[in-house]
Amino acid sequence: MIGMWYEDHEVGQTASLGAHRFTREAIVDFASKFDPQPFHLDEEAAAKSIFGGLCASGWHTVSVSMRLLVDGRRAQRQALAANGEKPPPLGLGRGVRDLRWPAPVRPGDVIAFSLRVESLRETRRPDWGLIGMRIAGVNQDGREVCAYTLMGLAARRLA
Amino acid sequence: MDLLYFEDLPPGEVVEYGERTVTAEEIVEFAREFDPQPFHLDEAAARASAAGGLIASGWHSAALMMRMNCDALFLRAASQGSPGIESIDWLKPVRPGDRLSVRRTTISARVSRSRPDVGVVEGRFELLNQNREVVMRLQGPLFIRRRPNGETQT
Repeated sequence: MIGMWYEDHEVGQTASLGAHRFTREAIVDFASKFDPQPFHLDEEAAAKSIFGGLCASGWHTVSVSMRLLVDGRRAQRQALAANGEKPPPLGLGRGVRDLRWPAPVRPGDVIAFSLRVESLRETRRPDWGLIGMRIAGVNQDGREVCAYTLMGLAARRLA
Repeated sequence: MDLLYFEDLPPGEVVEYGERTVTAEEIVEFAREFDPQPFHLDEAAARASAAGGLIASGWHSAALMMRMNCDALFLRAASQGSPGIESIDWLKPVRPGDRLSVRRTTISARVSRSRPDVGVVEGRFELLNQNREVVMRLQGPLFIRRRPNGETQT
């Protein structure tokens, strides 16, 4: 497990974020709100589309990866607090680089997400560092379905 | 409505569309499901955080932009998808009551070398708030079919 402060990170560190099963209901629910393209909503229309069948919005896939990342961090914060240690202040996300969806996510697919620390950079502010984390999702057949680099601020211990 | 083709998104074109007022309820609803950090869930906790008050998840902003892009463009374009997105920048917070719209710019456009019936449009999509501030910027290519021969432009 990777620590929560900026200084706890090293380029190359990896961590598992856990897995999530995408149901047809959740795929259609997300798409009807945010991405109502036929191949995310309707099996028949999807069969005739470039995807050849119903698949999740890419925005749904990345949102689920965020949920798993946040759940993991929350568990870590609770563990720190249980140890009598003060968890670091939460940093905000700054952006995303090189976001790809190389294969569709189908109803029933179980996607396992992981992260790898890709870059570390100090900022003008002494209390925050900027971390680049490559987050990737792989389906039950080992095929990558999404990958992106999340640029986020992390609190510095030596502030 | 007529289908939009590659030829309908010429380089240099800037168009604005969409209007969506974001409520505290929908910010919290999205965050509960996908990004349950205190500054997206609870006003009091958010005030004590780096966000200084309740803000939308950056992924929620991206999803709202996608919805406006679908309504204005993707649902009426001969779209062939996108190979990915080069960058997303969350530049300013999105707060309850903000009125969001999208400004799309065609940076460049070229015909695909491997698929001559498809064009590649390099686009910039900016999410604006009611003060005309850019709160999020997304950049990446779109694949879109070229207008078939013989079909006249309307």
